[in-house]
Amino acid sequence: MDIKSHTHGDANVLELSGRFDIHVAPQVSNWLERAASATPPLIVVSMAAVDFVDSTALATLVQGMKRCRQRGGELHLCGLQQQVYMIFELTRLDKAFTIFADESHAVESFRDV
Amino acid sequence: MLDRVLAVQYTHLTLLADAWLAAGASGFGIWRNERPVATWPNDRALAAEYISSQLRMGSSIVGELRVAGLDTQAMQLRLDADAVLLSTMIEAEDDLQSLTAELSSTQDQLLAVYQLMQSLRRQVTLEETLQSLAREAARLLKARNGFVVFMAGDTQPLVAQEGEPALDDALIWRLFWETHASEREVLLAHGRGTDPVPSHVQDIYFTPIRIRDVIVAGLGLASRSGSAFTASDVRLARALADQAGAQIENVNLYQEQIAQARLQAEVELARRVQLSLMPQDTPIIEGIEIAGRSRPASQVGGDFYDYINPPGRPFIFTVGDITGKGLPAALLMTMTRTALHSKSAFQPDPSPEAIMRQANEDLYDDFTAMGKFATVFLGQYQASEHRLVYANAGHSPVIYRPCGGNAYLLRAEETALGVLEHMRPQNLYVKLDPGDLIVVATDGMTDVRNDTDMFGYDRLIGMVDALADRPAREIVDSLFEAVERFAAGHPQDDDQTLVVIKGVA
Repeated sequence: MDIKSHTHGDANVLELSGRFDIHVAPQVSNWLERAASATPPLIVVSMAAVDFVDSTALATLVQGMKRCRQRGGELHLCGLQQQVYMIFELTRLDKAFTIFADESHAVESFRDV
Repeated sequence: MLDRVLAVQYTHLTLLADAWLAAGASGFGIWRNERPVATWPNDRALAAEYISSQLRMGSSIVGELRVAGLDTQAMQLRLDADAVLLSTMIEAEDDLQSLTAELSSTQDQLLAVYQLMQSLRRQVTLEETLQSLAREAARLLKARNGFVVFMAGDTQPLVAQEGEPALDDALIWRLFWETHASEREVLLAHGRGTDPVPSHVQDIYFTPIRIRDVIVAGLGLASRSGSAFTASDVRLARALADQAGAQIENVNLYQEQIAQARLQAEVELARRVQLSLMPQDTPIIEGIEIAGRSRPASQVGGDFYDYINPPGRPFIFTVGDITGKGLPAALLMTMTRTALHSKSAFQPDPSPEAIMRQANEDLYDDFTAMGKFATVFLGQYQASEHRLVYANAGHSPVIYRPCGGNAYLLRAEETALGVLEHMRPQNLYVKLDPGDLIVVATDGMTDVRNDTDMFGYDRLIGMVDALADRPAREIVDSLFEAVERFAAGHPQDDDQTLVVIKGVA
């Protein structure tokens, strides 16, 4: 798993790749925790290169999303591969997150926040 | 050493003297410091005129051979040869002596180390071990004070002392840090070096104690009774320090093992509590067969299933999976199961959607605090309608197979408990006429891997089709067998749970 991040407009973008599972979740969690201290925290997690997520990874994203909302911000997801998107559908986390096709759309949506 | 050779070899020296006398000498003698120590013929002083040759041990002169009455060049050569031979004997005797002394001192040290080991072996805690080491080292080396310092990792620094008056802790720590920095032992005495030795202390010896080549402690001794610390004392102290290092490590490992065992016992207890929360009996409900099983992974985990069958009210079952593993997941599993159970059992007219929504309200903050969520399926059998009304909070896989039809996945309509503060689950319905089948599993069943592949949803759905004609209990057993066979010996790393409900005539 490779973790890269950059800023895009007002948003902090986290780019993940490979397997997103219990082994990398703590690293992602730490990053999200730090990024969520911005006011308001606007985070995009780009998952275009992620081919697997486990339940701990999902819990990590949920936790990050809750933090952002608590602080008046938002966490968006983008670029989910089909097999990853399916897991979001099966757990209906697609209802909890706003999921965008790509990074620009995800960042664009923060204009309304 | 000359005396000793004289004593041991006197008869041979007499033979040598006799040979000289026979050759015409008037006397033969051995001198030391210008004094005779042996002369032949006995008790007769040597004439004033004599030839002589020195006896040497290494570079020092230890004595002299003298012969009177013969003063030719040849006789001088012969006397020199005798002196060389005798010198060699003296050196050999000296080597033997020091070897014997060394051996007995080594034996003493071995005995001392053995005694120390015996004493240390009885100690269980680190504090006891250090105290015992200080006491034994002082006793074995005849020192008034023995002291040990220990400092490693995050542990509390420790100082153990024996003997009165006690030494200042600051002095002990300074010795430790100096030793730590130089990686060397120190020997301090009054008037030597720059370190002031307290006036009541005669001398101090301090040696580092290493564990796996890292200095983590030190052994010190002060004020040897009788004399200053000797080279032999230092060797013994080093040996004690080596032994102590091994013992300290043993004690630490032992303590870790105890802590580990205690934790394991607690985890085992948590596992048993969890297992006891799973249904112990399967209720008999007219119109359906019920079968379920949960196989926990080696750690305590977050799967559960539950049957709620209050008298005069519809039968409810739940299957849930808390994200993650370990005690936090186990704790939330217990809380979730209990919240669902009590709402199902005690609400006057429990509807799946309402139970789920209220459980989420109850547990949302706890899930948020722990950074987890729970997928839950809750089904209620409505006997008069021959149907199941259910709410599904993000749980998967749930497979439905109408009698004679094809099995398919029932997708959740709402996300998991603990994700959204306000969730809106719905009541959904499937028929449970005779032969209709619903299979609720956790992802521990489908995520099973072997070397090449994952069990997956399709395989599970295919097997449900193939097993659909069997009784519910057989379907559960066969699916567990199939999953285990598929894993082909790979360790089970997630809980596996399965409940099968089948409509019967």
